[in-house]
Amino acid sequence: MPREKENDLTEDLYSQVDGYKLVPNLETCLQCGKCVGVCPVANLSPSYNPRTVINDILRGRQDRWLKSEEIWRCFWCANCYTMCPMDIPYPMLMMQIRYRAIEKGYGLKYFFPFKRFALRAMDDGLTFAPASPKGRERIGRIRQEIGLSPWPEISQKARNEYKALFEMTGAADFLASITEDKEKPVQFSYMEGKITRARGKGN
Amino acid sequence: MQEARVIKPEERLPDIPGRLFLFRSCTGSIEYPGTESAIKEILKLLGIDAVMDPDQTCCSGYLLTCSAHKPELSLAVTARNLAIVEKQELDVYTFCNGCFGYISELAHILRQNPAYMDMANGIVGKLGYRFEGKTKIFHVQELWYRMKDAIAGKVVRPLAGLKVAAHNGCHYVARQYGILDDGGYPTFHEELFEILGAEPVFYKERQLCCGYAVGRGFTHKEEMVQPHLLKKFKSAEQAGVELITTVCPGCNVALDREQPNINMRYGENFKIPVIDLSQLIALALGVPVHKLGFPANTTPLNSVLEKIGIGKETADG
Repeated sequence: MPREKENDLTEDLYSQVDGYKLVPNLETCLQCGKCVGVCPVANLSPSYNPRTVINDILRGRQDRWLKSEEIWRCFWCANCYTMCPMDIPYPMLMMQIRYRAIEKGYGLKYFFPFKRFALRAMDDGLTFAPASPKGRERIGRIRQEIGLSPWPEISQKARNEYKALFEMTGAADFLASITEDKEKPVQFSYMEGKITRARGKGN
Repeated sequence: MQEARVIKPEERLPDIPGRLFLFRSCTGSIEYPGTESAIKEILKLLGIDAVMDPDQTCCSGYLLTCSAHKPELSLAVTARNLAIVEKQELDVYTFCNGCFGYISELAHILRQNPAYMDMANGIVGKLGYRFEGKTKIFHVQELWYRMKDAIAGKVVRPLAGLKVAAHNGCHYVARQYGILDDGGYPTFHEELFEILGAEPVFYKERQLCCGYAVGRGFTHKEEMVQPHLLKKFKSAEQAGVELITTVCPGCNVALDREQPNINMRYGENFKIPVIDLSQLIALALGVPVHKLGFPANTTPLNSVLEKIGIGKETADG
């Protein structure tokens, strides 16, 4: 009978989060904490701690992070990745932590603004195009004063195909499937410098 | 996997192309169209042909990292856009750190994982595209540095005495194994400032990001982004910075549009104009000011233009 190894219970637990296998070296984390030192978000909000996030994800304790406000604060600046002695692409982990949270209905209020952007981008083939005719007019004016075409030159073919890719990759269905009634209250929040259960929840 | 990320210096510094594919940036063409215009003007002066294809779409990376959709879409969009470039046998030059970072990371994922490449090509194949993985991805700031001698020879409006500070932008420096300089503390923007006759200024919070990268400007503006940027502007002001340059229209939005809000909230009086590095180069190369689209800026450039001897009459037109 093979002997039980120390990491038998935790091995590959993090694949529950890293479904796309974009962070193959997460288990090499040294827990050195350099990421925390260079993190501008940890600087402002001490209970956001990339080292603790990695430790918890490796041990299968992702739930407390999925339910927290903290994961939505990350700027994705990748200072952590630039500094990491093991080259762990932490932003790729954070991206997927947010997917898992959305799938469980947490933090949806941080998803809806971009759902609106994405629905518009589907038609425009561009992100950030203003919705209002007035905003579009302003851009047209500035572009023409410079000597550019009033609107970025994007063909109808490009727009149609961009939209088709939303349909073909399931992105359109994903956007439609996440609706406001699925939002669950966030259970953990920042309090006195660490993650605590929100008061009065009793669990 | 990490070895595969390392791009050798000689590959980062290929011969100067006669023609390149200029990858349209949504923000750079909508929020600050002067960026697009400045780059086209500089390329014209340097004798390089810029191809922009109307069939190219948004790189889709911003919405990906804002969790609005999953990687499948962005992988397919990248395969489609790069297939368009590949067909013309050109290399991609982006003028947004976002486009640069997202496309290079997504192209890296495609090249390293045959399963993802097959998936993406399977989807875009239905639209008649195929990505082989050959096209290289650069940022125009790299081209400016590679051509610094040519640029130095064309300066007609030296920016004497102008105190300029760099903001590198995280999506560029995060590609630490595939960029021109040290991802921890790149200094090639400062070298370019010197060539243009300006005085580079190093300020304490130079490496602080803009905070807008994955839409936190929409979700956590008061809570995180403004206190974060306050630190940056305070240190820039203390160092006497007169102008900040970015290489990412997204950073430009954050640094330029947030200043009045920060002033109002914290009782400060920051008035540091923020423009693209390409706009600064175009100024020094004598491109007419009305082609640089400064009316799009929230923080006006009058002080800068006066300092380099461009009269008020041309400043707003």
